[in-house]
Amino acid sequence: MDLFTLTALLGDGLAVGSIYALTALGLTLVYGLLRVLHVAHAGVYAVGAYAGWWAFQKTGSFGLALGTGAVAGALLGLFLEAWFYRPLLSRPPHVALIGSIGLFLAVGDLLRILFGPYQQSLPALAPAPVVGMLTAPQLVVVGATAVLLLGVYFVVEQTRLGLGWRAMAQDALTAAALGVDLPLMSRLAFLAASLLAGLAGVLVGAYYNQVYPTMGAVLAYKGLAIVVLGGLGNLWGTVAAALLLGLLESLAVAYLGHRFPPEGVAFVALILVLLFRPQGLFSRARR
Amino acid sequence: MTVLEGRGLTRRFGGLVAVHQVDIQVRQGEVLGLFGPNGAGKTTLFNLLAGAIPPSEGQVYLEGREVTHLPAYRRAQLGLARTFQIVQPFRSLTALENVLVALARDSFRRLLPLGRLATPERQAKALALLEQVGIADFAHRNVSQVPLGVLKRLEVARALALEPKVLLLDEPLAGLTFKEAEEVLGVVTALRGRIAVVLVEHHVHLALPVCDRALVLDRGTVIAQGGPDAVRSDPRVIQVYLGEEDAPA
Amino acid sequence: MYVVTILELLLIYALLTLSLNLVVGLAGQVNLGHAAFFGIGAYAGGTLLKAGAPFPVALAAGAAASTALGLVLGAVSLRLRGDYLAIATIGFNFAVVAALLYTPYFGGAYGLSGIPRGLAPSTYLLALLATFGLAVFIHERVQNSESGYAFVALRDSEVAAEALGLNVNRFKLVAFALSTALAGVAGVFYAAYIGTLRPEDFGFPLSVTLMAMLVVGGMGGLWGPILGAFLLGGFAQAFAFVHNYQAVLYGLLLALVMRYRPQGILGRVS
Repeated sequence: MDLFTLTALLGDGLAVGSIYALTALGLTLVYGLLRVLHVAHAGVYAVGAYAGWWAFQKTGSFGLALGTGAVAGALLGLFLEAWFYRPLLSRPPHVALIGSIGLFLAVGDLLRILFGPYQQSLPALAPAPVVGMLTAPQLVVVGATAVLLLGVYFVVEQTRLGLGWRAMAQDALTAAALGVDLPLMSRLAFLAASLLAGLAGVLVGAYYNQVYPTMGAVLAYKGLAIVVLGGLGNLWGTVAAALLLGLLESLAVAYLGHRFPPEGVAFVALILVLLFRPQGLFSRARR
Repeated sequence: MTVLEGRGLTRRFGGLVAVHQVDIQVRQGEVLGLFGPNGAGKTTLFNLLAGAIPPSEGQVYLEGREVTHLPAYRRAQLGLARTFQIVQPFRSLTALENVLVALARDSFRRLLPLGRLATPERQAKALALLEQVGIADFAHRNVSQVPLGVLKRLEVARALALEPKVLLLDEPLAGLTFKEAEEVLGVVTALRGRIAVVLVEHHVHLALPVCDRALVLDRGTVIAQGGPDAVRSDPRVIQVYLGEEDAPA
Repeated sequence: MYVVTILELLLIYALLTLSLNLVVGLAGQVNLGHAAFFGIGAYAGGTLLKAGAPFPVALAAGAAASTALGLVLGAVSLRLRGDYLAIATIGFNFAVVAALLYTPYFGGAYGLSGIPRGLAPSTYLLALLATFGLAVFIHERVQNSESGYAFVALRDSEVAAEALGLNVNRFKLVAFALSTALAGVAGVFYAAYIGTLRPEDFGFPLSVTLMAMLVVGGMGGLWGPILGAFLLGGFAQAFAFVHNYQAVLYGLLLALVMRYRPQGILGRVS
């Protein structure tokens, strides 16, 4: 395999994987704390993308676009946590799940109604090759993700907030008894998750130069596959699974071409994992 | 005659040995208490006998027949009934209906039983069972609105509906007020001599008096067994409970 | 005439919600991929109708095909809990649609077209009404019988049901079998009704719609599912503009009902 092919595969695979990682991380964080599948997370991602697009249109600044996307995502996420998820904690789990699916559909369609069904372009990153076939957009995406993941790592492993999160994920009742403020943990988790999702949306919009209403759909379904692959609630397992999936999809496109849709990879992986190792690839057998 | 027996029962969880080579026999009509400090393995032993978890080694026999690898529902069909420490009522149903479900066990052997659940015969039996445990007043109340003491006795009524050879009670007194605990103990006492009862209990001083025999576990092995007085004054038993709130004395 | 056509579609939806209720409302198992069984029945029955088979044969084939795959999903469900099961059913839905898309025998992306009704219009309506009546009868019979209570028991507490001698796994499979058989029958009626089938018609969005009908109407009982099917289905048909806003309206409806009245219109708070 020559340098060009290798860098092309790696570059695209890691870039796509990075986006998956940023969004799936939030999904698994929320699951770990609240035991709810936040399907509407993909809606937050799409809203972030549109917010960033709008900001870029107005100002031409990619930085402002990223900021706007992050803030928009965060606001929506916080709203959903307060209005929808927290009141439903005492209900059986299918209630939040079904409602979340409804929210996701509604948000996606609302974006279509407001902005039209066609793609919008977000030409913030020129696809210029940098090393071999690695392009500038790829480096930006991977670089941004690396920085953000480092930030998350720091918060989760080195701060009291992270400790609170980990305690709540392991045993919420005991954590509360020990003084952890559960509602605050929940709110901050949604804040973090939605910030990341909003950023991811803008990054994707710039990377593919496309922003469209149903962009969340693929991520919604793949997001579910990724968090199961990585282990529901397992933060770093999910990140690993996300990157792995990005690379596998890249390989699939390169070597299987038209015979097998890259979407299918997430799918097949999901089915295999559910059949043989439901706790995920990177979790210890503790379902 | 031995109704329930465990031979060489061992259960490991990763590196931890929760139960180690335990032999236990339960005779017809006797009330056998399983005691021990926290982490002694009594709940694990209980679950091994009930079929909730498989043993790492050893066998379980019900009326002489080996049931080691039979799932819980098969053991229930063969005459082994159990209650749950954290009560598991069917919350959509009334107390009476909860017992009726237990009484329909023969029908449930069929693929799709379409008969009526509340036949007159079953209703009569169910009411009798609820009376036996003293909660007949709650017969038609939905179970989600009923106090814990009633739910605990409902568990026993449901288990008795199976007409079991042996009844396993999982910490029946947990979470009860003193009065409620007395009521439950009254039910157990009334069963003495009629069916075999195995009870796991943390509140030794409350439960020991109703037992014919007791087994005390510590760290997975039996350290004492015998009649209540013998066990109560056994120095090893006193030692493991030293410092514990629920010492036998 | 137009009214009859709408009624027929609503009856088909009602068959679907009743079938979904058996597994979700009664037995308490998550199924977010129910549209797949509708599709399998439709394709199986549709293929036979095209080949000239009599309607009853097509019905049997549709039911059989759906039930076979229903048992597969049922078997998978035995090993998975809660959220994993939900995800598995979604995955199953996608897998079935993908299989239909990539199988040239079923027309691939172009779908299966030219399916004859197989029955005269008035006979079709009578057959559909009779089937609906039968479904209601079966639903009621099962729900009020020992089996119905067995399903409720395993929904409320699997461990307790097991401890009382109930073969929980077998009952779950029976629930899946009944549910998917009925969905398959509905599928055959649909194939004859619409004449052309495309794989994406039976995807996850339809599963969500069916779930929405069930939860809005109210799970568990008989009239909740029927109300949900007629209400949401009828709404979509009666107001053409709804088509354009269908996703946002359904989505909001689902979210609001779950947020403020999760038991649905006719459901009971448990």
